[in-house]
Amino acid sequence: MILRRDHIAGGAFVAAGVLILAVSHDLPFGRLASPGAGMLPMLVIALMILFGLILVLQAGASQPIAEISWHDLPHAARVTAVAAAAASLYTTLGFVITMALLLFTLVYVIERRGLLAALAFSIPIPLVTYLAFEHALKTPLERGLLWF
Amino acid sequence: METTFDSLLLGFSVALQPSVLWYAFLGCLVGTLVGMLPGIGPLAGISILLPVTYGLEPTKAIVMLAGIYYGSQYGGSTTSILMRIPGEAASVMTCIDGYAMAQKGRAGAALCIAAVGSFIAGTLSVIALTVVAPPLANFALRFGPPEYTALLVLGLIFLAYMSSTSLVRTLLMASVGLLLGTIGIDVMTGHFRYSFDIKELGDGIGIVPVAVGLFGLGEILSKASKDVTGDVIRPKLRELLPSREEWRQSAMPITRGTVLGFLIGIVPGSAHIISSFLSYAIEKRIANHPEEFGKGAVAGVAGPESANNAASTGAFVPMLALGIPTGPVTAVLIAALLLHGIPAGPMLVNEHPQVFWGFVASMYVGNLMLLALNLPLVGMFVNVLRIKYYYLYPLIIMFCIIGVYEVNNSIIDVWIMLIMGVFGYLLRKFDFDPAPLVLGLVITPTFELSLRQSLVMSSGDWTIFFQRPIAATLFAVSAILLLLAAYSAFSRRDWRAKLAEVEAADKG
Repeated sequence: MILRRDHIAGGAFVAAGVLILAVSHDLPFGRLASPGAGMLPMLVIALMILFGLILVLQAGASQPIAEISWHDLPHAARVTAVAAAAASLYTTLGFVITMALLLFTLVYVIERRGLLAALAFSIPIPLVTYLAFEHALKTPLERGLLWF
Repeated sequence: METTFDSLLLGFSVALQPSVLWYAFLGCLVGTLVGMLPGIGPLAGISILLPVTYGLEPTKAIVMLAGIYYGSQYGGSTTSILMRIPGEAASVMTCIDGYAMAQKGRAGAALCIAAVGSFIAGTLSVIALTVVAPPLANFALRFGPPEYTALLVLGLIFLAYMSSTSLVRTLLMASVGLLLGTIGIDVMTGHFRYSFDIKELGDGIGIVPVAVGLFGLGEILSKASKDVTGDVIRPKLRELLPSREEWRQSAMPITRGTVLGFLIGIVPGSAHIISSFLSYAIEKRIANHPEEFGKGAVAGVAGPESANNAASTGAFVPMLALGIPTGPVTAVLIAALLLHGIPAGPMLVNEHPQVFWGFVASMYVGNLMLLALNLPLVGMFVNVLRIKYYYLYPLIIMFCIIGVYEVNNSIIDVWIMLIMGVFGYLLRKFDFDPAPLVLGLVITPTFELSLRQSLVMSSGDWTIFFQRPIAATLFAVSAILLLLAAYSAFSRRDWRAKLAEVEAADKG
């Protein structure tokens, strides 16, 4: 049997549904006259599993999994890792330093642009953005370690 | 009618205040840029700028955010015509004949027809909105929990029916959204659901991190390695005016596109995308020279552009009158109103007339602003398209983080956005449309509350949904749509299949 796109997608949603159902045991379903906190989640999980199964059953018409192009995955993974690092540092280092590092890493390290161009891009933009939010939009951004 | 006119005058007295005009202009300007730049759609633009509106009065906030929405419909046509890249999804159809006109040296005329068509459609649709929304809101005052339950079910079924992906995929995405919407404290019993001792999850998952993650970051992850900027055809200002023949050819497509777009805009789904596709299909079908389509037919630009602008205005009817989002953008706008303590829906027009009518009046003004922005300043906007994508996407990520963090000053929201970004990337790989997920997430609180209230008030008798005429009618329409969708799935050759083919061809 050729493994197809919808076998994987449908299977993943069925598995997720079963897993969520397993962690929902403490939610009371209640009765129709007095529905509990678990009623809607249970109904929705049941629908999710049902639609996932239909997807698996209809998977024959979908693309073989081997034909899905993942050429952009390494780049997407690198961008996600940089964004995750920025999220980890944001409250500690503050907006200006974190965003300068984020922009510099993406432009210089990931996109391999010139050092001067990356510096000229990544330092002024967070500063100007910070000042614009602080003074023009009256929405202060995270200050972090430094005075700003 | 006299009352409506008086109310509209009240609206203009609000909308013409210099500060409101400024925020309308800002929204239109940002919307034009958002529509032009590939990789950042109106939803991401609105979500990112949502925190900026916190310090504003509700009218200014909603005027600015709505300006971004309908401004993006104008802006999207510029990129389509000059680069053959849809700045946002609704501009896909404009790429075909708009770019062909540009190659023939008629870029200016194509831009002018698109802008004027958008202006006419936008203005006529606002007039229709002015007439339709208040009576609909008054009618909706008769709605109780069963009617709201039925209306929301109909909304989801309609969305699934109108979707260009399959019914099952759309309903699956809506189920995931509904499930995400149940996270947090149950308002009726105080139970914590799926919060795993993370106190920030007690309030549930916000729409902003989910929307920005799925549509902003997810789009970037899917596209980041591609250099999406290409050669831009630069129009000359003196070539902007179409010929008399081109005006004649565009008149009826603009009219038809306006009517079609407004009607489709009212129903849930990606209305502006569907309306532009249907408008193009109709114009081609009734044209005297259908062979000209694809080679620079004026009607191929005028119809779809008018339709997508009319649809974006039509989408405000259920949002303002019923408090029901027809898509993720209106869902975020409802969230924006709620952040200011103003619920969208039937009470809006009566309890906050200045917000309602100020917003409606601002759309008349906004359409004029957009016409002024999109014609004389098009040369300036074209320069924005020269920004290389490897500089643009880091900026978008920065603004995504600002936008999400500032909503609640919560880093958990940023993590949710990142998770949703990765999920959005995977959904695209597996050909799922994330829009129903966002819609499901937004309607969950209202849907769950009205469903449970209906059951409680009927002492558990589920036939309450079929005993009340409005609810029964809405459920009957839902059933008919499901049957139609099932029939289409077997026949496999309806307009949605064709739309999917066009979208697939465009992605390719």
